[in-house]
Amino acid sequence: MHIPDGYLSPTTCAAFYAGSTPFWYVALQRVKRALHTRLIPLISLFSAFCFLIMMFNLPLPGGTTGHAVGIGLATVVLGPWAAMLAVSVALIIQALFFGDGGITAIGANCFNMAIVGSLVAYVFYRAIAGRSPIVSFRRVVAAGLAGYAAINVSALFAAIEFGVQPLLYKDAAGAPLYCPYPLSVSIPAMMIGHLTIAGMAELIVSAGLVAFLQWSDPSLLKTTAGNAVRMEGAERRRKTRSLQPIWIGLCLLMILTPLGILATGSAWGEWVASDFASPSVGQQIADSSLHQAAPTRAPQGLEQMSQLWTAPFSRYAPPYIRSTGFGYLLSAMFGVGLVMLACFLVMRLMRGFLVGRPRQPAL
Amino acid sequence: MTGHYHPRSRGGFIEHTIDGLHAAMDRAMYADRSASGRGALQQLDPRVKVAGIAALILASAMAAKLWVIAAVLLAAILLAALSYLSIVTIATRVWFATATFSAAFAVPALFLTPGAVIYTLPGLLWTITSQGLTTAGFLILRSETAATLALVLVFTTPWMHILKALRLFRVPVVFVVILGMTCRYILLLLENAHEMFESRKSRTVGPITRGEQRRIAIASTGALLSRTFQLSGEVYLAMQARGFRGEVYILDDFRMRTLDWLAAIGFCALTAGLVWVGR
Amino acid sequence: MGGTLMLFEVDRLTYRYESNAALDDLSLSIPEASRVALLGANGSGKSTLLRVLDGLHFGATGGVRFRGEDLTEEHFSDDQWAFAFRRQVGLVFQNPDAQLFNPTVFDEVAFSPLQMRWSKADVKERVMETLDWLQIGHLKDRPPHRLSGGEKKRVALASVLVLDPAVLLLDEPTGGLDPRSQSQLIDLLVEWGGGPKSVIIATHDLDDLADIADRCYVLDAGHLAAEGSPDDILADRELLQRTNLVHAHRHRHSSGEMHSHPHRHE
Repeated sequence: MHIPDGYLSPTTCAAFYAGSTPFWYVALQRVKRALHTRLIPLISLFSAFCFLIMMFNLPLPGGTTGHAVGIGLATVVLGPWAAMLAVSVALIIQALFFGDGGITAIGANCFNMAIVGSLVAYVFYRAIAGRSPIVSFRRVVAAGLAGYAAINVSALFAAIEFGVQPLLYKDAAGAPLYCPYPLSVSIPAMMIGHLTIAGMAELIVSAGLVAFLQWSDPSLLKTTAGNAVRMEGAERRRKTRSLQPIWIGLCLLMILTPLGILATGSAWGEWVASDFASPSVGQQIADSSLHQAAPTRAPQGLEQMSQLWTAPFSRYAPPYIRSTGFGYLLSAMFGVGLVMLACFLVMRLMRGFLVGRPRQPAL
Repeated sequence: MTGHYHPRSRGGFIEHTIDGLHAAMDRAMYADRSASGRGALQQLDPRVKVAGIAALILASAMAAKLWVIAAVLLAAILLAALSYLSIVTIATRVWFATATFSAAFAVPALFLTPGAVIYTLPGLLWTITSQGLTTAGFLILRSETAATLALVLVFTTPWMHILKALRLFRVPVVFVVILGMTCRYILLLLENAHEMFESRKSRTVGPITRGEQRRIAIASTGALLSRTFQLSGEVYLAMQARGFRGEVYILDDFRMRTLDWLAAIGFCALTAGLVWVGR
Repeated sequence: MGGTLMLFEVDRLTYRYESNAALDDLSLSIPEASRVALLGANGSGKSTLLRVLDGLHFGATGGVRFRGEDLTEEHFSDDQWAFAFRRQVGLVFQNPDAQLFNPTVFDEVAFSPLQMRWSKADVKERVMETLDWLQIGHLKDRPPHRLSGGEKKRVALASVLVLDPAVLLLDEPTGGLDPRSQSQLIDLLVEWGGGPKSVIIATHDLDDLADIADRCYVLDAGHLAAEGSPDDILADRELLQRTNLVHAHRHRHSSGEMHSHPHRHE
């Protein structure tokens, strides 16, 4: 989403200009080293192309139309750093000369879409594509999903930027000065549109154009190919049970967790001791339990056990985070992080145990 | 153009895309023409304009009072009038589009913002608060003002002057050159895309399914992508043939005259005043 | 040391592009102060040859010498050597949109001298001189997308002539121009050339050949098919047909006769 002027406070905007600058600087250095004299014509022409993509009205399944940004394609073709520059340039020109997107918000827009977008797209693309050959269908899928993920993470960042505004910036009477919607509204509102429409558009453009390039000029896909295996005649591809789709799925789920805020009430069976004393919760319990009345006092065993352990993030709301949405997300990230750490440790232990065994030869 | 999601479009995506391309080319052409006019702003040094208008946008962004933003908007309209930019043009190009988008965004705020209730919708029992009204006002006015100021800048200054003036903000030369070259080739690709879609439209008989439309969209975009790479390769050779070695040098030749200094002071004073009053 | 120094010496040059041999074991010599036409159909390799002569591509085998010096990547990595070469040899590309990559006409013509670190005052003076000579001074602030085809070609020419090169390479200069613009361009080239300057034009257009060239080289699929004076080449119909510079098909003249002979459509 191209954030217009007036939705983010000047402080927020300045913060994102400041945040984007080191990325732009590093990107410029790296791309200059890689491309030398090709830097200017390649970035310029590709930016112009990205600009055009942003203008295309794409018909989507389901009857709507949407616009893509082109960050997925840019990352796959140019690599993340050059893509960062190219998409930033397209966004700057769009805002400055064609009035689409705010001028104070250029820093935030570039940060969300060009910088975060290209990094996310790169990680997803490399993870999903693995070592598959450059002209494989798997890479088309990888590109599509990379674009989809990139746009949704960008939208999430924008949603968070929006949602924080009413907490921090109000006038004397309490009216929000900039975006008035807190995280609990901004996140679902942004994500619903992007998970469906904008994400779909980006997926189609990324996948479609990578497929086109595989047919017309695969050498252009070499930059992000990594250790792609070459397809050689009778070689059978090894069946690898890759864990990467699971990681990807996890990340997606994690990003979606704040949607849980929309659910009201407590899940069945997840009551705390104090819930039984409260008449409103008691009614909820009865309604969801085939209309059997709930006890007015917590069962003895439940009370005893509930003293044993006090969670640091009780009810997924760290006490020091005022916004429920932000707390939710933090809890999600923390939770996933803990699980991943545990899995990683287990894997390391197992690998250490198995390292002595001879490997099976590839079939 | 920001995040608009159309319901099933009657004209099909080709029509909409052509309209969008046409509007963009049209805007570029109009900007070219009006930037070489004889109005007040056209005479000023581009660095003064870029800095001055940026300052005014900042003032409208920082203001915590509605009337201050309105004052900036008034200043923008005044500058436009002095530069012979027709108000009708501004209204159609900026105000209408920005207002519809901002209004769509701001209307829920009327009902969702907590505060002193001033009106209750009969039937639905939704309440409008005065804070909600103020917030909606902030949103709409700020985006209108910033968009108007940006338009005033772009329609009174040739785009390459704007980019060269960015050197004032310590933007590296290579960025200025990339921005300039991108602008130049956007205009070329816009024309190519426009021709391609026009010819596609004239060859299309009868309705085409959405799947086919998508296929056409991707194929056309693919063709443009090929052309883009081909051009970039040729431009690369052309640059080398003319002595480009990696460090790029541009000619920026702006000199401040008395009028420019006066205008700079004027912008400074106005912005300082507005920021002070609006805090 | 005997013998005159050749302007360009191409020695058994092979250049590959995507596993096609765009130039295949090509050898030719172009003397100083020449007016040369490289003839050939599309795909014959003449554009590639021009770019090799301008030091933009380097052959896989064989070599090119300019006034006795080898055109190698190593030489071009030295700033001074590269600048000296680029001052002496200029190339006008076939596609003006690739050559006009600057925002305005003035910026375009100023690009070369600026990259060679001339002083701003010198750059401005020389640019205005060149624009006036080509009668496009009124276009100096125009962006390239608002130029007509003929104007674009003039600006492209100006952007190369601003350095006053000794050798001018042109790739299909009259392509896409209406007849009047074509003849104006030819006149310009004739006016500019002569004396110690050399002009090498790659074209498949056989009109005005005698005006623009004293010597012709015919290329076919990367090989040198023939060389000679314009009269010789134009007289050799079999050659022209074989190299796809003209074609023959059966047609009817106004007298009612049906036959076929090589001809070109106007």
